[in-house]
Parts: sequence; C-alpha cells; structure tokens
Amino acid sequence: MHLRALFLRLRALVAPCRVEQELDEELAFHVERDTQRHITNGLSDVDARARARSRFGSLLLAADRCRDVRGTAAVDNVARDVRYAFRTFRRAPLAALTIVGTVALGLGLVAAVFTFFNVFLFRVDAVYNPHELFAVERPASPDEELLRRFTRAEYEALRRETSVFTDAVAMMSGIETRVDGRPVSAVLVTGNFFHVLGAQAVRGRTFTPAENEPSAARRVVLSHEGWLRLLAGDPTGVGRRVSVNGVPCEVIGIMPEDFRGLSVGSPDYWAPLALAADLRPAIAGREGDLALSEVVGRLKPGISPEQATAGLTVWASAAASPDVSAGRPPLIELEPRRGVIADWFELAVLFSPIFFAFGLILMIGCSNVANLLLARGMTRQREIGIRLSLGASRRRIVRQRLTESLVLALAAAACGLLVSRLCLDGVMYAATVTMPGEVLDQSAIDLDVPAADWRVLLFLVAGALVATVFFGLVPALQATRVAPVRPMRGDVGSTGRPGRARNALIAVQVGASALLLICAAVFLRSAAAAAVADVGVRTSDTIRVPIADESRRAAIVGELTADPSVRALAAASGSGQASAFTEAMEDEGAAAPSRRSLPVAYQFVSSEYFELLDINVIRGRDFTNAERTAGTRVAVVSETAARRLWPNGEAIGQAVRIEERQTDAPQSTTLPSPAGAYTVVGVVRDVGGGALFRPFAFSGVYLPIDVQSPGTELFLRVRGDPELVRLALIESLLRIDPALDHEVGTLQMFARMPAYILQLVSWVTVGLGGLALALTVSGLFSVLSYLVEQRARDIGVRMALGATARSVAMLVLSQSFHPVGLGMLTGGGLAAGLATLLLSTPVGTELGNAVRVLDPVAYAVSLLVVVTACALATTIPALRAARIDPIETLRPD
Amino acid sequence: MARQPVPDLLPGTLDLLILRTLQTDAMHGWAISERIQQISQDVLQIHQGSLYPALHRLEHRGWIEAEWAVSELGRRAKYYRLTPSGRRQLTVEADTWDRMVTAISRVMKLA
Repeated sequence: MHLRALFLRLRALVAPCRVEQELDEELAFHVERDTQRHITNGLSDVDARARARSRFGSLLLAADRCRDVRGTAAVDNVARDVRYAFRTFRRAPLAALTIVGTVALGLGLVAAVFTFFNVFLFRVDAVYNPHELFAVERPASPDEELLRRFTRAEYEALRRETSVFTDAVAMMSGIETRVDGRPVSAVLVTGNFFHVLGAQAVRGRTFTPAENEPSAARRVVLSHEGWLRLLAGDPTGVGRRVSVNGVPCEVIGIMPEDFRGLSVGSPDYWAPLALAADLRPAIAGREGDLALSEVVGRLKPGISPEQATAGLTVWASAAASPDVSAGRPPLIELEPRRGVIADWFELAVLFSPIFFAFGLILMIGCSNVANLLLARGMTRQREIGIRLSLGASRRRIVRQRLTESLVLALAAAACGLLVSRLCLDGVMYAATVTMPGEVLDQSAIDLDVPAADWRVLLFLVAGALVATVFFGLVPALQATRVAPVRPMRGDVGSTGRPGRARNALIAVQVGASALLLICAAVFLRSAAAAAVADVGVRTSDTIRVPIADESRRAAIVGELTADPSVRALAAASGSGQASAFTEAMEDEGAAAPSRRSLPVAYQFVSSEYFELLDINVIRGRDFTNAERTAGTRVAVVSETAARRLWPNGEAIGQAVRIEERQTDAPQSTTLPSPAGAYTVVGVVRDVGGGALFRPFAFSGVYLPIDVQSPGTELFLRVRGDPELVRLALIESLLRIDPALDHEVGTLQMFARMPAYILQLVSWVTVGLGGLALALTVSGLFSVLSYLVEQRARDIGVRMALGATARSVAMLVLSQSFHPVGLGMLTGGGLAAGLATLLLSTPVGTELGNAVRVLDPVAYAVSLLVVVTACALATTIPALRAARIDPIETLRPD
Repeated sequence: MARQPVPDLLPGTLDLLILRTLQTDAMHGWAISERIQQISQDVLQIHQGSLYPALHRLEHRGWIEAEWAVSELGRRAKYYRLTPSGRRQLTVEADTWDRMVTAISRVMKLA
C-alpha cells in the first residue's frame, strides 16, 4: 500500500511530463465524454462542449488539486524555483558571476583555514576503532601539566599486570635522526604497534611482536611521507637498505597515506624500540630505564574509560616505587588518542582569531552581495509586484528568492573549494620559496597541503547555507515588502527603499576592513622592527653546531679546527639558574640576614666565546686560554648582573659564591656543577638585543669551560658565505657523525627566524586587509553608482530647480559619510578593544613584546588608507551625479 | 417550478461513495460521477473539481488502482478499480456510515 504510494510519488518525480500528460488526458476525457452525452441529448456540438466545460468548472484548479495529492509539491516548487533562478541568471549573467565570485572568494579563504583546523582536530587517524585507544598518562602532580613518563620496564609491567586493555603499545616519538644524511623524524615503537592499531602496510609488512628483540631491530617501516622523501616514492622500495644514523636498516614496509601512527603529522618512519640502543649508544644496556613518550592501550570491549582509569590507578598504587614523592598515590589519567589534538579547546582558541580574520572577508563579500541584491530587488520590483498580484504569497516569493541565493551560494561553494586549494598551494609555494633554505632542511617539516576531505566539503556546504542567510535573507524580505499595485504602474523605487539596511552593510564592511588593515599595519611594522632588531651577538659569519653524540665530540672539534673555512671555535652551554652570594651582601648584612642571595643566570663558556660573538669586555679581562674549567675559580659577569650583585662598588676582584638552586631540576647531567666560589675577573656587556626578540639574551655569570666538555654547543666564526660554509660543514661532519644534530645553523637564521615568521603573518594580514578594502571599495562604488543611476531623475529635478553641481556632488558624498564614519569607529574601536583584551592575557603580554598591538602609527595609517579609499570610491559617482543633464533625465521615455 | 436545492455532500462521504461505486466494476471518472448521480436520482451531484483530486487521493492511499483502457468512445480512458485493501476500507467506512445514519435518524425521530 505504502509501496504503491511511493511508486506513484517517485513516478511523479522521475517522469513528471508523463504524469502531467496523463492528468491532462484524464480530465480532457471527462469533458469529451460529457460533451458526447450532451450531443446525444440533442445539443449542437458547440453548445454541448460549452455545457460540458461549464459543468466541469476550472480544469486548471482541478489539475492543481490533483497535483497537491501527489505530495510532491514541495519538490516541484524547489525545482521550479531552481529553474526560475537559472533563467534569472541567464538574463543577468554578470551579476550572477559577480556574486558567485565574491562569495567563492570568501568561502574559499575560510575553507582554507578549516582545512588546517580539520587536520589538527577532526581528521582521525586511519586505525581500527580509534575510539578504543587511550593514552595512559601519569601527571606529576594534580594541577601541573608535567607528566611523569613511563619507563620501558613499567610499560612491560602494565601490559603484564593490568587487564583493562586488550593490548598496549609504547612509543618514543620526536626522535631526530639522519637517514642517509638527511634529517628525518622517527617514532620508535613496540613490536605490537601496528598489530594493536590494526594498520596494514600498503607494500611489504609491518612489525611483528618478535621485532622487539634487539637482534631483529634493524628494520624500519616507512610512512607515506617518508617513502616519498627517502625513496622518492620508489614502488620497489621494500627491501632497500638505508643508513639510519649510520646504522644500516632494512625497509620492510610502507604504510598507507592516511595512517599517521596516532599523531597529527606522520613521522618519516617507525623503528622498533630496540633500535634505540643503536641510535643512542648512551642507553645501551639500560633499555629498561628508557623513558617512553607514550603508552597507548586499546580498551577491552565493555570497559569504560572511568573503570579503566580506576583499575590502572589501583595497579599504579600497588606498583608505586619508593621515589613517588610524599606518599601521594600516583594519578593515572586516560586521554583519548585518535591522531588528533586532544585539547580541542586550546586549539579552537588559537584558531578563532584566524577564522575571525578570514571570516571577515567572507562577511564583507556577503555584504557586497547583499547590497547588490538589494539594488537588484529594486529593479525587480515590477516582476515581484506582478507575481504578488497574481496571487503568489509573500512567503512563496521569499522562498523563491532564497532558492536563488542558495543556488548561487552552492555554486560559490564549489568554486570556493577551488579557491581554497589554490590559496593553500599558493601560500605553501610562497612559504617554500621565501623560507630560508636552512629552515627547510633543518626542521624536517613537510610543507604539504593537507587534503580536502568530506569534512571540508561539508564545511563548505554549511558555509554556503550561512552565507545564503547572510546575503539573501534581508534582500528577499526587503524586496517583497512592496504594495503590488504601485510597481505595476511603473512606479518603482520609492517604496521599500532599503536605505537603512544598505548603510548598515556599508558600515559593517568599512569596519571589518579597518580592523583587518590595522592588524596588517601592526604586523608589518612589527616585522620591519624585528628585521632590523639587534640580537646582541655577532650573526654575520657565525654558525652554531650542537653535538648530538658526545662520543664524537673530539672528532668533530678536530675536524672543525682543521677546516680552513673556520676562523675560530668556541663552546657554550645553555644558561641555567643559580643563587649567588656575594661579600658585599654579607657585609651589608649587619641589618639584613647575612646569607641573603640573589638569583642569577649562569652559563659555561669557553675563553674564545666573547671575542667570537663580539661580546665586548667592558672592564677587566675575559677568560685566558688557560682558564678552561670551573676549577680555575674565575668568573666573568655581565654588566647588569654586576650592578645587581655589587650595587655600590667595583665588581672586578670581588668574590662570588654560586649555589645550585634546590628547587630546579638539574639542567643537564653532562655539565659540571656551577657550585663554588669564584673571583670576578671581568665585566662584559649584556647580551640583550632589540626590544622584540632576544634569542641569545643573557645577563648573568659566565663560568669557564673547555670546548671538549660534554653538554656544550660549539660556535664557529667562518670565512665566506656562512650558508655555503654551513652546507660544506654538514657534509664533512656527516662523515664523522652520521647522526649529526639537525640544528647546525647560522646565527643569522636564529636571529632572523622570528622576523621571518612575523613577516609571513604580516603578508597574510596585508593580503587579507587589501582584499577586504578592495571588496569594500568596489561595493561602495557600485552601490553609489547604482544609486546615482536610480535617482538620476530626482537629481535632474533638483538641478532643474537650481541645485548646483557642487551641492549635488555633496548630496551623493554625504550618503556615505555616516556609514563610513561609523564603520571606521567600530573597526578602530574593535581593534583597540581586542588588543587590550589580548594584552590582559598572559600569552598576550608575551606576544605584546613582539607585536605592538596598540601601535598608534599603525592605527593612524590604516584608518587613513580606509578613508582615502572610501573617498575615492565615492568621488566618481558623486562627480557623475554632478554631471547629470537635467534635460536628459526629465525627458519622458 | 422551483428546483430543489442540491445538498452539499457531507464531508468525507465522497470517498465512501466512490469506493462503493467501484465495488463491482472498474470505471472511469465520468462514469463514476454519472453513476452516483443516477442512482441518487440527481440528488447527489458530484463536483467534478473534487472528484479527480479524490480519485487521485484514493489511488495514493492504495485503495483503488488505475489502468488505462479503451473506453466506449474508442479513446483511451483511465479506469479505476478497487484494490483488496480498498475493499476492506469500504467495509469499514460503510459500517461507520450505517452506524452514523442510524444514530442520526434516531435522534431526528425521537429527540
């Protein structure tokens, strides 16, 4: 029964022509049959037909009511509206193209941002039942972010002794290695990793649990990216041997593209955990103590995460080793692991300003379109008036107009996909071309454009719907607000003038462009400031060489010393925090407690360090070549630190005692302890750098060390182009240490990196701001031009009555004064408000040092640009209005 | 002679009349309306504007089905026929109708 109805309905949809024809035929037959009867009763042909027709009543009405029965009216109407929309577009293709183009631009930009957002947040890794996977985390304390890592032994115990997981895997991620000399990232995993995740290799095979054994360790599984990067996508790559940090390994498998091993971006390869001993000789023999970055388990079916947490907490309490501090039970937390960023809130906060900025473009575009539709609504008043008087309901017409908008928006969404791909490719290309080559090969990052999956498409369609409401609803409502009779008489335009809506839209556009331009100006100025900022050390010809493998230090130092392009070599540790006790303080301490201390930063440096990096000695001397250990008990102090430690006296010759601060975790086990008494032999200038970025900033106590001491980085001053020397050095050093640290880089690059990032941001914001302004100006221009055209007769009358060209021009100009002024105020105010809000957050304050969010020059310049552009956009229509010939316009058509 | 006013059909009875008319034979729309008119001795006049929507409605409900066949005029016409479920529906509706008529006439007589 229902099947039958469905069939009839389907038929009405699929073959509407035939159904319609049958309906006509059926009704016609009735009339025909009736006519026949009347003829038989003796009427003439004509009379009989007339009689039959009048008896039947309206054929159209009957047919219509039959159609209603089908229940396909809604679909029919939509189809009719869509057809009607296409007819309208054919009549005004330019308008339709403009609308589609404008909205596509906006949608495409937002979709481009969403594509990234999608990667981080929604693109779940291609593993079997990812919702069952949970990372086991052990927070160091209830309120800290810090996690206490599991060791290999603890992981084995967890697998053995708990029963909440079907199985668990362990990972060590972010391992920097060099494969055949190229810096690549790796994740070390347990042998059951791929098995538990339920991932299959596209080529070759994955690890088996047996591959946990060190003997079988020298095998790697490549990710899709790694395959492309290391084997250039060679389909016969399985079985090839690669050198991982100098250790020959066999490629046994290649993973599919959408498998990322539970991370957001996939590593280049996976290797068994047992390979760790080969990669880091230091841990050989201590594999049980290996700190794992993650333990991930697959929950048994039927066990909730809460139950699992409880079960694991019990296990952890029982197994608690004595080093668990203060009798607090170890906390266990389960974090879902699906290959996306778990902390979506933080990410959403991070992305919201970006979405906002790009969304503004969409909004400005939509405002333009709304304005265009409002204007077209006026020209289409006659059409709408006729439809209304023929009995179309207002709702029907609004629906028709919205359908029209939706068709346009969907077309725009399709083009938007193209726009987003072009944008992403373009930006990636620009980033690749402009990024210092050093950054590219050092960071081992992939500059791949993330693929657009169904979520991006869904996002575009949803965006199209929102855009439709935004640009289509007001014009649709406005356009139908007409008395049907007046436009029929040809009296168009004076009713339902959408002046207020139009002004509001212009204000919104101007405000949004002002906001974006202010951002652009702020970033531009910050980037310019950062580009010339002095970082405080010599960067023109210096190179930093971190040592990854201490066992090769001597060889590396030897090679560097022998290299003719290296002029000088120094070593320095990272800086640490300690407490300093001085004589002066203890003397003063008659009143104050005698053992007062000041916190100071300290750094171990070799004697060549100051000269190599141009850190001038102000008084006294720097370390001599003989002073190469802390045991020589001499120290050099930075200017500011000297003033702090000895506020009213000469620092040189003073004694200072350094003590390690108990609260801080030991910075490095390889460095000597800074504790001890020292005599100050010299004062050097602070390494501060500009107000913005201070990658090398240091002010504190320098202690002597030797270049051969473990835990230090090497600094070189070289001859010739530092970038070329760097490349040559990497090549020669790779022969000594195939696992050479990834970050061998020129100081120039370190110094310029922040400026470069700011520059990227400023380019994007300038692009957005420019686009916003262009859209706004073109919108303003077209609206005013249109108004002048519409009101030509009105203006003609004014001129005929004696208005001067000047006053007419002013009339047109004044049309835009209010909305533009209002928009500038809101834009400027919003920018300042957001900036103040940003500065009030802790992150914002830090950022505020680098980016002067309240830079008055940036505000003034960008607002000036907006005013000038708007003035230009309004002047041309105003001049055109002033040139209107009253005779021409008043002549009846 | 003043014509008796034609009473409007009681709402909902058109479906019943159509189903009843189709009980024995398949008929096209015109024949159905003629038949009803004839049997009711011209008291019930079916408004053509509502006949066809009603027929289509019944068809969509699955109570009648349509078939094109050659008519007495030699031209193709759409013939409607009762389906088994239409037959069941007819029994139900006829029953309801009977009860209603009895009840109303009782009230008219005795109240």
